[in-house]
Amino acid sequence: MAVITGTGAVSPLGRTSREFYRRLRAGESAIRPLAPEERRGLQATHVARYDSFSPQPEIPAMKARRFDRGSQFAIIACAQAIAEAGYPVADDPGAIGIAMGTGSAGAGALTEFLRVLLVESPEAAPPFHFPNTVANAPASQVSIELKIFGPNVTITQKDPSGLNALLFASLAISSGRARAMLAGAVDEWNAVYAMGFDRVGALRGERRASGIVQGEGGFAVLLESEEHARGRGAPLLARLAGIGTAGVPTEPYRFVPDRRAIARAIRGALGAAGSDPSGVHLWLPSANGVVEMDRAESEVMSEVFGPDPPGAIRVKDAIGEMAAAGGAQLVAACRALADPEAPFPADARPRRVLVNSFGAGGNFFAAIFESAT
Amino acid sequence: MALRRRVVVTGLGAVSSIGSSVSEFWQNLLAGVCGIRPVSLFDASTYRTQTAAEVSNIPDGFLTPAEKRRMSRADRMGLVAATEAVSQSGLDLSREDPARIGVILGGGTSGLLDSEAVYEIWLKGGRGRPSRVLNHLPDAITDRVAQRFGLEGLKSTITTACSSAANAMGYAYDAIVGGLADVVVTGGSDVLARLTYGGFNSLRSVDPDPCRPFDRERRGLSIGEAAGILVFEEEERARRRGAPILGEFLGYGVTSDAFHMTAPDPSGAAGARTILAALDAARRNPADVDYVNAHGTATLQNDSAETAALKVALGDRAQAIPISSIKSMIGHCLCASGAIEAVATVLTVREGMVPPTIHYENPDPTCDLDYVPNQAREAPVNLALSNSFAFGGNSSVVVISRYE
Repeated sequence: MAVITGTGAVSPLGRTSREFYRRLRAGESAIRPLAPEERRGLQATHVARYDSFSPQPEIPAMKARRFDRGSQFAIIACAQAIAEAGYPVADDPGAIGIAMGTGSAGAGALTEFLRVLLVESPEAAPPFHFPNTVANAPASQVSIELKIFGPNVTITQKDPSGLNALLFASLAISSGRARAMLAGAVDEWNAVYAMGFDRVGALRGERRASGIVQGEGGFAVLLESEEHARGRGAPLLARLAGIGTAGVPTEPYRFVPDRRAIARAIRGALGAAGSDPSGVHLWLPSANGVVEMDRAESEVMSEVFGPDPPGAIRVKDAIGEMAAAGGAQLVAACRALADPEAPFPADARPRRVLVNSFGAGGNFFAAIFESAT
Repeated sequence: MALRRRVVVTGLGAVSSIGSSVSEFWQNLLAGVCGIRPVSLFDASTYRTQTAAEVSNIPDGFLTPAEKRRMSRADRMGLVAATEAVSQSGLDLSREDPARIGVILGGGTSGLLDSEAVYEIWLKGGRGRPSRVLNHLPDAITDRVAQRFGLEGLKSTITTACSSAANAMGYAYDAIVGGLADVVVTGGSDVLARLTYGGFNSLRSVDPDPCRPFDRERRGLSIGEAAGILVFEEEERARRRGAPILGEFLGYGVTSDAFHMTAPDPSGAAGARTILAALDAARRNPADVDYVNAHGTATLQNDSAETAALKVALGDRAQAIPISSIKSMIGHCLCASGAIEAVATVLTVREGMVPPTIHYENPDPTCDLDYVPNQAREAPVNLALSNSFAFGGNSSVVVISRYE
């Protein structure tokens, strides 16, 4: 299995992975009421936007204008992960790649390009925006900025897109295609997308008690072959011990609280990690406010782990739900394993963290990280 | 070295502007039929150009009217191709473990045509029917394919623009080799939309006439739409159950150009890295390559950069083998291009017939390889590459061989 040697976070709860984790552990939340000008016809009431974000100092102002918001998040988060890992990209740029999950990347460029095309004329549509309408813009801008030549993919598969990207990354390493992979997820909040999600009934608000609060941010971990990481004396923050997945056949936008699928994903991750349920000490739930899904997750956790499941850090209560929240869970899991103050039993060897990430369309992922030192 | 699980192709499905079944598509490819015609899906009169390779027939009679209402055009095309591919594979889904069968597709425009219409209504102050935006995200078709066939394995949708489907096939291959699945329905479905049509036009990269890959007078691409679906299966079990084995997926290369969002590296060095990564992953040499299904978009930059990449990667072998761009017939099917071109490449390997590059008239000194001009050609092909190069410098090359 591969190890994690660096983490990065650009989030409304902190602009580095350490700050994000510290404030998350302290119980802070970035969720705030929507301002009247943001609400415009929405029944949703809350959001977790990164209001104070500035791409400086990492990206100079002139250059930052070329990037959409998601690309700015991703470039900074990935640069943090590489810096923490002390990873020597330039020694062999083809040995490192990137896999990012997203649900909304490109939304800003897409809605603006289409607005002009539809309201004015196709000829007036700004060519500048078109290349950034693709969901792979953030990962590609990262590869260009950080001079990474290895595998480069973007994955969109509902809320677990971040864990799906982690799976791709781990396969890239185990197959020998890469020695190191940035893996994570990125999303940008967009008013038109918010309107779409609200009108199809996905958002929690005045008229809907069950649903998500939208967030935004960029999160990345650097996954590295353990042999390579040890060989270069890298910091071993955590080891990716196993990933489990399950699918349920259903409509693409329907949440299916399928207990069998949830159990299959969790047990798959446990099996791949070679761990009994009792070997897991911390749990980062998928729970995101979709009531039926959250209830099913709790029930399956009790079924698998008994009446006293591992303690939970509820990431989405702090930063909202989106594909990028899965990336945030990966970062939080690795930071917890690297944190001497984290709530693990004194005799836990290795310490293990379970990350659950379930989405609409019958998409279920679970991953287990463990201490690597 | 430990024995690696092998991945074979046991089913193919195709919906394209020149045919809505694999056999019709293949016959028309060999006949050099051009599917690039005036756009009818939306009013193109205010755009710089008015042609595209549009699909005229989606044989989706097996869907109920209620199912069709819930689905996007991309969903319906994808399901038609998936049904053809799964049927050819002979998989008896009632006897398979659904958890071992995954769906990994390349996605892009998905339900964009519908969400564009709703967005236009919103922009003009109306309310629009919200259910029409439900298929907006590119993963809708992946979930639909799993839903249709009752599949419970790994699902994923890769969105790397024009290399999406090639990377999806790569992920499917990795998933089978890595033991995460035994069968994966892979490929992609991508349709025309005003965003992509307007976008490439705004960049001045669309030829008003049908595109002319590798020709000196080429003036850009023709946008197309298609669904291409391939059933990937672990070789031993495919053999054991007597499945039709149409070819072998030997591996793939995926790299970042790290050069520019929209321009290829003109030296060919970046493209050559991808080709060599693919051959390396497939444990084959440049001398083993018998045919290249080129990315060949017919933009000024791509075709010369791709030619340079082939020369850098394959050396003398580049001059000795046929290279063709079927985009001259079916246009650039964007996120599905890697899939529909892989379907053609499997058939090329299987049938020993190379489809032509049509509309080819004027040799270009920067594109001086054998592009199989205008006429299909009989040629033994044991091993072929299919190239996909995308916005963002997301490059992917797949290696397909005859099954032995």
